[in-house]
Amino acid sequence: MSAEALLNVTGLTAGYGPVEVLHGLDFTVAEGEIVVILGANGAGKTTTMRSVSGMIPRHGTVDFAGTHISGSKPDAILRAGISQVPQGRGTFTDLSVEDNLMAGAYSVKSGVEEDLDRWYGVFPRLAERRDQKAGSLSGGEQQMLAVARAMMSRPKLLLCDEPSLGLAPLITKELFRVLGSLREEHGMSLLIVEQNAGMALALADRAYVLETGSIVATGTGDELLADDTIKEAYLGVVS
Amino acid sequence: MSLFLERFVNGLADGSIYALLALALVVVFRSTGQLNFAQGEIGTMGAFFVSTLTLSGLPVWLSIGCAMVLGFFVSAGVERIVVRPIEHRNPGAVIVALIGVFLAVNQIVAMIWGVDARSLPSVFPDDADDFVTIGGAPIRIARLGIIGVLIVVLFLLWLMFNKTKVGLAMRAVANNQESSNLVGIRVGSILVVGWGLAGAIGVLAAAMLAPSAGLTGTLMLGPFLLASVAAVLGGLDSPVGAVVGGLIIGLTEAFIVGYVDFLGADMLFPVMLVILLLVLLLRPAGLFGTERVERV
Repeated sequence: MSAEALLNVTGLTAGYGPVEVLHGLDFTVAEGEIVVILGANGAGKTTTMRSVSGMIPRHGTVDFAGTHISGSKPDAILRAGISQVPQGRGTFTDLSVEDNLMAGAYSVKSGVEEDLDRWYGVFPRLAERRDQKAGSLSGGEQQMLAVARAMMSRPKLLLCDEPSLGLAPLITKELFRVLGSLREEHGMSLLIVEQNAGMALALADRAYVLETGSIVATGTGDELLADDTIKEAYLGVVS
Repeated sequence: MSLFLERFVNGLADGSIYALLALALVVVFRSTGQLNFAQGEIGTMGAFFVSTLTLSGLPVWLSIGCAMVLGFFVSAGVERIVVRPIEHRNPGAVIVALIGVFLAVNQIVAMIWGVDARSLPSVFPDDADDFVTIGGAPIRIARLGIIGVLIVVLFLLWLMFNKTKVGLAMRAVANNQESSNLVGIRVGSILVVGWGLAGAIGVLAAAMLAPSAGLTGTLMLGPFLLASVAAVLGGLDSPVGAVVGGLIIGLTEAFIVGYVDFLGADMLFPVMLVILLLVLLLRPAGLFGTERVERV
């Protein structure tokens, strides 16, 4: 599958200063696929995301849609078609909901109004609150806004960094339903890093398990859900 | 009553200059988190450049336009060459570096243009009989013109921040640099534009002040201090606050000098110091600034 994969990462290493956090990751995301990288705190999930989106220096090969993007800057990677929903949502809290979405469309030349209408249709709560400051939204609404903002750049691949962080279970469920619908209705490919294994694996086609900077297991979502060590480590189920 | 009106308009006119300078300080502070100590001196440099250009026969308004372009590039250069490389290593050291830039620009101005005072023509009619009478008070047209300049600048800034893509990017960068990067904004370029804009506004303020204050190397020293107080009073991250703060400081100055004999012009700066202390004690975020409370 790696031959025609949309995102093809090999030997990815990255870190902060002298500290290496990722020790050579290999993973792929095929077109239209939902891939989850499962990991505990400190496993390197956010570092992985930031390496792919070009936010930190990294080594190794990152190919996206047939182009090398390992050395590209964030704005070039975004224009190539990778958009990231950062950890902790990263909305522009002082800006209105609509300005957040307009900022998301910063790299888009035309047709922004149509995109706005489309995402307001998908997220009616955002349409109701379009003139409110993003900082006044609830955590769940801000996460939806972060997803909608990322979609405004018209990506082919959406990176989600721990989207369930700090959200109530019901809201998380709704969020994952929306993420699933992005694939079904908008043909998106998704790479999600999570520690909320249950819901993430249920959504995933394939998943990787990341531990202290290395991938230690891989399989389909269902396979990993059935795996006893995974259950113990990430679902709190003692067998 | 007519004397009050005259002092009121004069206070607003001086306040407009402080407001412009404070706006420039706020534009930089919002995006970079730095107080640009060189802001006033870049303005002084611009005013001397205006003087050179008008002496060579260029119309005053065109000279001011050219000098604003110079101010844009000098200030943008300060961000690029001084602030950014140092900020990576030690954000606190930037303050010291900016004080260095302040001294450097101050000396460069003295080297190029000398230390003798010059007079700078006003862009508005400014002869002895160029006044209108409002409510019995003679109000100089040049003073009204300065207030008008502030209004026009505010309108243009409002348009830029709210109706253009670069304005949206500037607000985004001021709010969250990491996310700005993620939506494809080149944060570095936006910071340069912000500093440049502040430099241009500072030159405009100096060019408005110089005709009445006289053009010397220390032209912007006092106004810079007052504008800093204005910016803190209004809230260092609030453009609205900068304008309100500037006008309040201008009016306070006019009324203290005009009405409070035992304080007078000599005690102006101590009074401003008291205002500064009161703001920092009672309302550290300023009148319009955002208090840093965030949902985690």
